[in-house]
Amino acid sequence: MVKAVKMDENGENYGKGRKAVEVRDITCAYNGHVALKDVSMDVMRGEFVAVMGPNGSGKTTLLRAIAGIVKPVKGEVRVYGSISYMPQKDYVNVNIPMKVWDVVAMSILAKGKKFRWSVKLSEEEKKAVEEALRAVAMFELRNAPFTDLSGGQQQRVLLARSLATKPDILLLDEPFNGVDLPTQEKIINLLSELSNGGITVITVVHNVSPLIHHVSKIALLNKTLIACGKPEEVLTAENTLRAYGVSIPVTVCEEGYPHPLFGDIHG
Amino acid sequence: MLPPFLERALLAVVLISVNASLTGTFTVFRNASFLVAGAAHAALAGAALAIIIEELGFHVPVLFGGLVFAVIASLSAGYAGKGKLNRVEDLNTAIAVSFAFSMSLAVLFISMIREYAARVWGLLIGDLFLLSYSDLKLMFFATLTVILISLLFYRAFMFVSFDPEVALAYGMNVRLYDYLLLSMIAVSVVVIMGGVGAILVFAMFVAPPATAVRFAKSTGFVFAMSFLISLFSGLLGIYLSFQLPFSPGAIAALTASSTYFISAFLKK
Repeated sequence: MVKAVKMDENGENYGKGRKAVEVRDITCAYNGHVALKDVSMDVMRGEFVAVMGPNGSGKTTLLRAIAGIVKPVKGEVRVYGSISYMPQKDYVNVNIPMKVWDVVAMSILAKGKKFRWSVKLSEEEKKAVEEALRAVAMFELRNAPFTDLSGGQQQRVLLARSLATKPDILLLDEPFNGVDLPTQEKIINLLSELSNGGITVITVVHNVSPLIHHVSKIALLNKTLIACGKPEEVLTAENTLRAYGVSIPVTVCEEGYPHPLFGDIHG
Repeated sequence: MLPPFLERALLAVVLISVNASLTGTFTVFRNASFLVAGAAHAALAGAALAIIIEELGFHVPVLFGGLVFAVIASLSAGYAGKGKLNRVEDLNTAIAVSFAFSMSLAVLFISMIREYAARVWGLLIGDLFLLSYSDLKLMFFATLTVILISLLFYRAFMFVSFDPEVALAYGMNVRLYDYLLLSMIAVSVVVIMGGVGAILVFAMFVAPPATAVRFAKSTGFVFAMSFLISLFSGLLGIYLSFQLPFSPGAIAALTASSTYFISAFLKK
């Protein structure tokens, strides 16, 4: 077994055009059940990657492996830079009436292995929390208890929490679940801006269409990596058939982007 | 001047309320309410084993035996209950199994020391009016420890309960903090139980925070309201026990658990 290695940013691997994440031939398993098999992929700095695949195809596992939460039984993950991970809302305990502000501040206070004695935020950190909350349009509700928010609002707060640490690499698991369309568009624009600014964004999505104009790469999974590359190369009839068991029709919009029509598939 | 037994009872109510507010709230946030009963019953097996060892000629305090077993039971439940996705419901299943395991062990040990069985059961039964100074001293130091640990590890306990996955991704030692939290719950439960009895602990550690969470707009509110609910319940129990031939602990436990059901009714 090779352990997942996290590497801090160093001069060698910094700046756009350099690798942000290297996944080398990893296999991940839970209690002997293989969730992901022989996956290799590289993600460059500033790339915006969508991870797609049917339910149970290992999308979340891939994110968890990159985040270092799950150790691959085989292979190696190298990460160049700091990471933020946003899980699906279902994995969060929504019974704790923490204030929105405190949920976001949590990531800053937890960052790093070193125990932090003071729970007071510095001015700079307060600004980071505020910026993150403003970015997802939740600043007005900063004093509301997390428990009172709608599902979409909770999702946005969790996104703000992962933004607040100003990570080099942002890992998001279904960030648009339960989010209304205007907010979804806002978040997509925000992620696109971040990736243009050099932050690497890797997001698991069910439906890639709303962000297809922004993503630079799609990773299509079904336990193994079916395809990984530019959207138009990945979204072919052959690949979607291998991933989903049916070939998904793809239309090309006026601007030339391929949009898979998931809605047209029954079952 | 108050009679000393009443002084001790009042002091005990304050100590219980502090534990209900801190340990109780963390237990409810961690979705591990069942651990309060689980740890209490695991302590029985430990107490019985302590008596067996005493029979062999080595002195081990009964309460110490109880503490060790309660902590081991909590940690094993915490270990076995970690699912692949850190889902919370896994923990309650693990506590239920650990409950059954330690109760069987308790029955086994007690059957070996039939003549002393009453001493083991004595750990579960306590009375606010029968507290000794040494009971109170122990409760005081346990409470002090709980306050200290809660202050030091507040945000770690919150993060680990709120979202263990992400805490892990940020490099926190989630297992360590979780085990510390579970051990703190076990110690707090067993020490207070040794003084005032199991029923009062079950009622005071779970009902007030669970009631408070229903109305809470912040975590601070839960800590404060749990403290007030258990303080009120305890004082009412003592007051009524002077007017009527009732056990103060039973009244306090009834009051605390009633607030939970009444709040459920109000919130519907």
